[in-house]
Amino acid sequence: MDEVLQVRGLHKKFGRGSRTVHANAGVDLDVGAGQVVGLLGHNGAGKSTLVNQVVGLLRPDAGTIMLAGTDAVAHPDDARRLVSVQAQANVPITGLTPRTAIELVGRIRGGQTDAVRTRTAHLIEALDLGEWAGTPAEKVSGGVARLTAFAMAAVAPGRLVVLDEPTNDVDPVRRRLLWRQIRALADDGAGVLLVTHNVREAERVVDRLVVLDRGVVLADDTPAALTQSRSGTLTLEVDLVPAGPPPWPVALVVTDHGQGRATAEVPVDEAAAVVAWAGEALAAGQIERYALTPASLEDVYIALVEPEAVP
Amino acid sequence: MTALAAPASWRQLGLMVQWQTRRQVRNLPLFLLIQLLIPVATIVGFGLLIGHPDRATALYLVTGAPVIALISVGLVATPQFVGQARAEGSLDWMRTLPVPREVFLLADLVVWTVIALPGVVFGLVVGALRFDVELAPVWWVVPVALAVSLTAAAVGYAIACVMSPVVAQLMSQVLVFVVLLFTPISFPADRMPQWAQETHAWLPIEPMAQVIRAGLAPGDFTVPGRSWVVLAAWCAASVLAARWALRRRG
Repeated sequence: MDEVLQVRGLHKKFGRGSRTVHANAGVDLDVGAGQVVGLLGHNGAGKSTLVNQVVGLLRPDAGTIMLAGTDAVAHPDDARRLVSVQAQANVPITGLTPRTAIELVGRIRGGQTDAVRTRTAHLIEALDLGEWAGTPAEKVSGGVARLTAFAMAAVAPGRLVVLDEPTNDVDPVRRRLLWRQIRALADDGAGVLLVTHNVREAERVVDRLVVLDRGVVLADDTPAALTQSRSGTLTLEVDLVPAGPPPWPVALVVTDHGQGRATAEVPVDEAAAVVAWAGEALAAGQIERYALTPASLEDVYIALVEPEAVP
Repeated sequence: MTALAAPASWRQLGLMVQWQTRRQVRNLPLFLLIQLLIPVATIVGFGLLIGHPDRATALYLVTGAPVIALISVGLVATPQFVGQARAEGSLDWMRTLPVPREVFLLADLVVWTVIALPGVVFGLVVGALRFDVELAPVWWVVPVALAVSLTAAAVGYAIACVMSPVVAQLMSQVLVFVVLLFTPISFPADRMPQWAQETHAWLPIEPMAQVIRAGLAPGDFTVPGRSWVVLAAWCAASVLAARWALRRRG
């Protein structure tokens, strides 16, 4: 595998004495060319700290970061040519239109004027941004600004493209277009490091998932391998009636009991019996609605970072 | 996909100037107006304070106004705008672009110097008419003015990158007063108390005023050799400081 990003033993601390936060406590991470690697984790898990070290805004306390064979810690200037970044917060581009901003960034990154113009037009088309491409940035919605920021990172992509929460504020239709473009970046040969909370959607696009919690990597595998451990269970979701929860059959372990909704783990061999029970409960008006789904990556993720929440 | 070649720095400078100018395009008329007013206000305002100045005093006022305009851009406007860019997050993102750190500094310098330029020229014309003094600018006043601009902007940049945005803004407000009233730009240094004169001997502001003054009215003023040295040292040190501040990694 042709690795574009290779992180080994990365440590980064903030603060001093009793207030020291170990934001990265020995992180190992690889992103290969042509791969989309999802980086999952809670707020404060150390994702942004990791990314900021890769792009040369922070200096690691210990560990190495190799970008396409270049030592990114020793040579941040060279590293910057090899990475393009979509930041977590939208970069304000007041005074520019989405099209001008994308084209200028492409040329600043070293793209030839004609090639950049063609690529910009392609991205605007592919993300369905045409309507706003010539509108001053202060008049576009948050979702359009987010897509523009993505296009700024994708117009002259580095060997590694870092995307921090690219789908935030983006409407469902354009979100699909965006996922397609993220995949296309990898298919064209870039390595993509995708920082996200959106486990459900990322599942369909990523080749590998890295779960970061409290500065350490808890899991690093393909989505299929990660869900494998829970392949023997299904998830039952029940919308409750206002009168309250139904009498649960004994085989069910109710794991979550929120406002008007309950979630339960169902062993696969009990599935038929549970569906029969749910059908009767629905007919009797004891529940509003039910759905039986395979264990999702979200379940796996929650089980990893909050083992106490799962039986 | 191959790694992009290192883009030429001069091309990047042009593009960065374009980016910064376009981002400020809505506020440009206001900036230009303020930069027109600052030197004029200095000349007319000090004129009111002083009454009917003799020729020497008038020359100090007229040649001091452009210096104040150039310094206020660098020390006041630069920290405010860099502080704003830091607060809104665009500075950190810009720093992820493959652009030499010096190009950021130069691009901002070009934009702000161009904004300050009309005011500088206008102030000189107004001053010459108001006090009926004749100026005889020599060619080297242009590169010298750019060096003054560069020094002030680099100091402003370093302040804005190192201090918190709020402190940087406050600092820049205080600097306006100090520069306007307590530095020997629009009046001779010997009017200041001894300790202030000695302090200014090591600061860049008096040499800045001296070189511009001598460049505009070479028949009336000369620059002590020491001032050239002090100014050159500050220019080099401030650019290095700004470069360091921009390259810094937390």
